[in-house]
Amino acid sequence: METPNEIIHQPIRLKIMAALNTLATGQWLEFVSLKSIVDTTDGNLGAHLSTLESAEYVLIKKDFAGKKPRTRVCLSPRGREAFAGYVAALHAILALETLGPDVSSTHATPNNNR
Amino acid sequence: MPPSAEEAAQALREIANIKARAAGFQDYRAESDQLLLWGVAHVIGFMLSGLFPALILLIWVVVVPISMGAGMLLARRAGAEIPGIGWRYLILIGAIFVFTILIHIVMWPLASEQGAMVAPLFVSALYVMRGVQLRPRYLFIGCWLVMLLMLGFLFFKPVFWWWMAVVYGGSFIAFGCWLRRL
Repeated sequence: METPNEIIHQPIRLKIMAALNTLATGQWLEFVSLKSIVDTTDGNLGAHLSTLESAEYVLIKKDFAGKKPRTRVCLSPRGREAFAGYVAALHAILALETLGPDVSSTHATPNNNR
Repeated sequence: MPPSAEEAAQALREIANIKARAAGFQDYRAESDQLLLWGVAHVIGFMLSGLFPALILLIWVVVVPISMGAGMLLARRAGAEIPGIGWRYLILIGAIFVFTILIHIVMWPLASEQGAMVAPLFVSALYVMRGVQLRPRYLFIGCWLVMLLMLGFLFFKPVFWWWMAVVYGGSFIAFGCWLRRL
C-alpha cells in the first residue's frame, strides 16, 4: 500500500497545503490570511512553512505593501502535484477498506508464491 | 506505516473543512470590498439627498451607475477565474435597480422616504437569504440592516436622510471592515 507523503501528513501542514490548493495557479495568499484560515500562531505557521519551503512545496515572497512588510505564500507546481498524490493515497486507503480486509491484506503483503 | 482508514477519512474531512473555510474567507474578502464601496456610495447619496431633496432622482441616477462601474471592476479583480463575473455582477445590481424602479411604478405615489426604503430593504432581504443558505455573517448583516432601516423609518423621520447616510451607509462600511477579519 502507498504511504501518504510524510511531509504533508502533519495536521498543520495538511491544513496549509489544503488552503493553498484552493487558490488558482500562481495566486498568492497573505501570511495573515493563511494564519486565519489555518487557525494557528505566527511561530507555528512560520515553522511549518519553512518545512514546506525546504521541500519546495511552497514559495514564499517577502515584500512591502506601501510601508508595511508583507509575506505571501503560494503553492508551487511540485507542491500541487504532491498534494494531489497525497489525496489520491488517502482515497486509495479508503477504497481498500471498502473492498474488505482480504483485499486490504493482499495489497499490504503481496503473495510472492503465485 | 501507512495511516489507517479512519485516519485517512479524518484527513480527508480536514481537507474538506479547510476548503470550505478558505472559500468562505475569499467570499468574505470579495464581499467586504463591495460593502466598503456601496457604503461610501450610500453615505454620499443619502447626504446629498438630505441636502438637495429636489434633486434626489438625479443624485441616484449618477451615484448608482458610477458605483456599479467601480463594483464591476472590483468583482473582476476578486473573481478573475470566474467566467463572466463582470456581467453577472452588472445583472445582479441591475436587477436590484430595476426592481426598485418597478416597485415605485406599482406603488406610486410614494413619499421620498418610502421610496428610499425599497432598495435597502430588498438588499437586506438578499443578505438574510444568503446568510441562511451560505454564510452566517450575511444573516447577521441582513437582520441588522432591516432593524436599523425600520428604526429610522418609524422613529427618526425628521433626520431620516442623515440616519440613512450614517447608520445604513456607515453599517455597510463597518461590515466591510468586519468581513476582512475571518
